[in-house]
Amino acid sequence: MDRDTRIAWLVQHAQRPRHTTPLPDADISVPGGNPGCGDLLTAYLKAAPGDNRVAAVSFVGTGCGLSQASASILAERMNRDHPSFAQVLDFTYEQMMDLVGRDVADARPRCATLALGTLKAAVKAVEMNRKLKAAGKTEAEIAELRRAISAAAEGTGLVLGEEAAAAARGIGV
Amino acid sequence: MTQTLLPVTDIAARGYAHPEVLVSTQWVAEHLTDPKVRLVESNEDILLYETGHIPGAVKVDWVADLNDPLIRDYVDRSRFEQLLRAKGINQDTTIVFYGDKNNWWATYAFWVFRLFGVDNLKVMDGGRLRWAEEGRPFETTAVRPAPGTITVRERDDSRIRAFRDRVETHVARHKPLVDVRSPEEYRGERLHMPEYPNEGALRGGHIPGARSIPWGRAINPDTHTFRPAEELRTIYQHENGLPLDDEIVVYCRIGERSSHTWFALTYLLGYNRVRNYDGSWTEWGNQVRALIEKP
Repeated sequence: MDRDTRIAWLVQHAQRPRHTTPLPDADISVPGGNPGCGDLLTAYLKAAPGDNRVAAVSFVGTGCGLSQASASILAERMNRDHPSFAQVLDFTYEQMMDLVGRDVADARPRCATLALGTLKAAVKAVEMNRKLKAAGKTEAEIAELRRAISAAAEGTGLVLGEEAAAAARGIGV
Repeated sequence: MTQTLLPVTDIAARGYAHPEVLVSTQWVAEHLTDPKVRLVESNEDILLYETGHIPGAVKVDWVADLNDPLIRDYVDRSRFEQLLRAKGINQDTTIVFYGDKNNWWATYAFWVFRLFGVDNLKVMDGGRLRWAEEGRPFETTAVRPAPGTITVRERDDSRIRAFRDRVETHVARHKPLVDVRSPEEYRGERLHMPEYPNEGALRGGHIPGARSIPWGRAINPDTHTFRPAEELRTIYQHENGLPLDDEIVVYCRIGERSSHTWFALTYLLGYNRVRNYDGSWTEWGNQVRALIEKP
């Protein structure tokens, strides 16, 4: 794909992003924001029952064209391939930038990878929920661990959870 | 016009030191076909230009066009001249920058162009958002101007750019520093990006002695235009005591937001010894043994 064609493809995704409706039966929704540039996405993840595999993904958000286009492209891929959780977690930020297109993504890596980072957090949360439920943990205990996941994201370039929106807005003040 | 908008005061009536560097959206609308004017859009959002731009405008991307691809620095004279010629810029062209984020990147491009001594630079007050809210036209047609003939000088980093050693001396002399990042960054509460080392910092806080004046304070949020000089003086001089005749260093994370403050101080208020420290927090916050203040 040459650069002009790629740009047109990205613009088309940015203007008419796919899979942008919240999934009513999602196992989890995780907001993620890029501190600094105002990009905000909430990943909705529905896991396949009894299988550590993606059943459906959507992203709802606002932000720059590349962040929203990347979410749309990633959601298309996820809803087509239904990868295992391990495959999502193994899918690297570098691969995500290749998927979007290096000639554009290299100039805005954080925007290009926000969707993937948020989705990975959602997958980790579902995976952990399942393990904890299997181990007999209560909902309250699981909620506490979710908060721990958000805390663990500190320093990864993303702000996950309830603080994401505020963080994404932060630098504009 | 399709919307009722808050009116803006004429630029000439706002008391700026150099009002000639700002033009209104109306001025731009009247010069869309002026062969001596080149509109340059510069955005945070890398796809925004392609979704529609002011008719005739060309795009300059701060990463792809202005940064050296290898070394953390700006492009050299030859590459910069090549860029400007490709954008159809001649020696007598008036360049008008505009962009998203209240012209944050437009003023950054302005600052880089000034490093190369390019004259006849202006910024469209209110930026892309004001133009859009006024219902003015955008087009998606690719703009391919005839190559320009401009010749540019070697980059001069000595007047408006600050490097780390200068900032260290500045701190030691207790000279004024302005941190234009968000209050959370200034306080060191927000640290990010080991996965994006090009924008991360290992330590949070601010350079000792820096005043926190977020860049966006220079903008009226209702109109997206620069505040009049009197209001700017209240912010920078009365509230924060920045002496008009002193040496001042402004910084942020990589020098982009601070170029907006550099622009406001230099051209709107007439400070003439302001330098932008583009190494900014991504350099200072990673430097071994650099002094850091945290409230």
